[in-house]
Amino acid sequence: MKEERYLTFALGKGRLAHKTLELFEEIGITCEEMKDKSSRKLIFVNEELKLRFFLAKGPDVPTYVELGAADIGVVGKDTILEENRNVHEVIDLGFGKCRMCVCGPEAARELLQHHERIRVASKYPNIAKEYFYNRKHQTVDIIKLNGSVELGPLVELSDVIVDIVETGSTLRENGLTVLEEVCPLSARMIINPVSMQMETERIKDLVLKIRRKLAEKLKSPQ
Amino acid sequence: MSKKLLHTPEGVRDIYGREYARKLYVENKVHEIISSYGYEDIQTPTFEFFDVFSKEIGTTPSKELYKFFDKEGNTLVLRPDFTPSIARCVGKYFMEEKAPIRLNYIGNTFTNTSSLQGKLKEVTQMGVELINDSGVEADAEMISLVIESLKGIGLTSFQVSIGEVEYFKGLCEEAGLDEETELDLRACISGKNYFATEELLSERGVAEPYRSILLKVADMFGNMFSLPEAKAMVKNPRSQAAIERLERLYEVLKLYGAESYISFDLGMLSKYKYYTGIIFKAYTYGVGNAVVTGGRYNSLLSYFGKEAPAVGFVLVIDDILEALSRQKIEIPLPDKKKQLTYKQGDMADFTKKLAEARALRSQGIAVELLLEEAGDCLSGKVK
Repeated sequence: MKEERYLTFALGKGRLAHKTLELFEEIGITCEEMKDKSSRKLIFVNEELKLRFFLAKGPDVPTYVELGAADIGVVGKDTILEENRNVHEVIDLGFGKCRMCVCGPEAARELLQHHERIRVASKYPNIAKEYFYNRKHQTVDIIKLNGSVELGPLVELSDVIVDIVETGSTLRENGLTVLEEVCPLSARMIINPVSMQMETERIKDLVLKIRRKLAEKLKSPQ
Repeated sequence: MSKKLLHTPEGVRDIYGREYARKLYVENKVHEIISSYGYEDIQTPTFEFFDVFSKEIGTTPSKELYKFFDKEGNTLVLRPDFTPSIARCVGKYFMEEKAPIRLNYIGNTFTNTSSLQGKLKEVTQMGVELINDSGVEADAEMISLVIESLKGIGLTSFQVSIGEVEYFKGLCEEAGLDEETELDLRACISGKNYFATEELLSERGVAEPYRSILLKVADMFGNMFSLPEAKAMVKNPRSQAAIERLERLYEVLKLYGAESYISFDLGMLSKYKYYTGIIFKAYTYGVGNAVVTGGRYNSLLSYFGKEAPAVGFVLVIDDILEALSRQKIEIPLPDKKKQLTYKQGDMADFTKKLAEARALRSQGIAVELLLEEAGDCLSGKVK
């Protein structure tokens, strides 16, 4: 039974999936099917190594992995924190580096110094809640937005926002600035706890290969 | 009639027909195996006082408990699992008992989990508790029972992973970690979260060699170390005793012929302080979490006024059924029932058919008596 079973990967759509496949290629795992951009397939298979890949929306990746529909997932740390699912987080893949920050106009910095109630807009209500309640002990009203969160303070929907900051250029262009850092982020590999036990050898092999590759890269950055 | 009445709330469901037959088969089979080890059945109430499942005793966070009030204003809870109830019973009825007590239970449990995550809020759990026996033989009996139960219902590929929380506790003690660090570490390691562990260790300034040892415990993928290696890494007697216990456990499990199904994982810790010795989980394909969890909890009974060692496990019947169907494992269903039809208003015919039915029933054959016209339309009833 063991040999016939596919190991299934759920990859967060977009740049993350791209980078992951690049890395996989370097350790000898390829998926030709996936390179065909015109393909409308949802699941891509590497028959030789018995691997299956599919692309999913970021926040769904931990769900697929937790419920065992995928053995392994690659997704940003932000999603893992926000979704808070029962998965094992085994590798920091090092790419997709950015920070989760509290941002707003400079004038809002004052509001974060007290425990007074403020309004926070975010795509990540759970992360925002955890940060303000448990680390800052500040009362906040959290407003969930689904995109262009920077608008929040601009149209006075909220005092500040909690969002991912990469270069900060969008913030600057709109007169906003990073007020506090919540945590650093990057792409992580997550594994289903059952798969970890049932497919230990295959997963261990893969994880060790990736770790070695990442260590090599760290030593000799191109 | 309102269409709304036909729905069940999210997380609960009706089980009937063939599916229920399969469920009953699994329950009966496992019950048979457990009974053959001398376990006696026990039934506890579906709801109890909140305190029985409180933070110190239970393993379900308060916000996931179904709570309500009785007429006096006491807070009641629908049981999220059985172990605290059984512990309460033992404290109440077996206070003076010194001999081992073997108990077996089955019933539905309730957890108010988050919505839309594909999880049931009411599941059937079956489990055993062995009280007043602190021996390694008792631990082995648990694990052997798990293996025999899973084999008995037709599962072939599954894995029982065994840990010992004392190893970790001894290690934290030796390293001189404060309680908060220990708790945080426990959460990171049980989640196999290598970086969070690494980060936490450097943030709290944990010194070498403990840093590397703890990281090794967290990292199932490093060089997965063997028991002798794990023993050599530590100096404290508590951790060493834990490893010796696992070594002895392995010897006993060999006598049961169970060694091919087990593996050791010292990084297996529970988030809860509850467990005091071995801890184990059984995994199989087709479900996203462990189908069996168990362990030793020697201090739990003291909350109910009895100092006694205890070990036990719980099987989640619904998860096992899911695994069986995902793995396409056939379950022998009961023989098809026989259908006898009689003619409307014909007393003589009915008398004859009734006699026939009673004769068959006394031989243990299921017989359904039907009115002739009804016979055709009912044939599709049982799916």
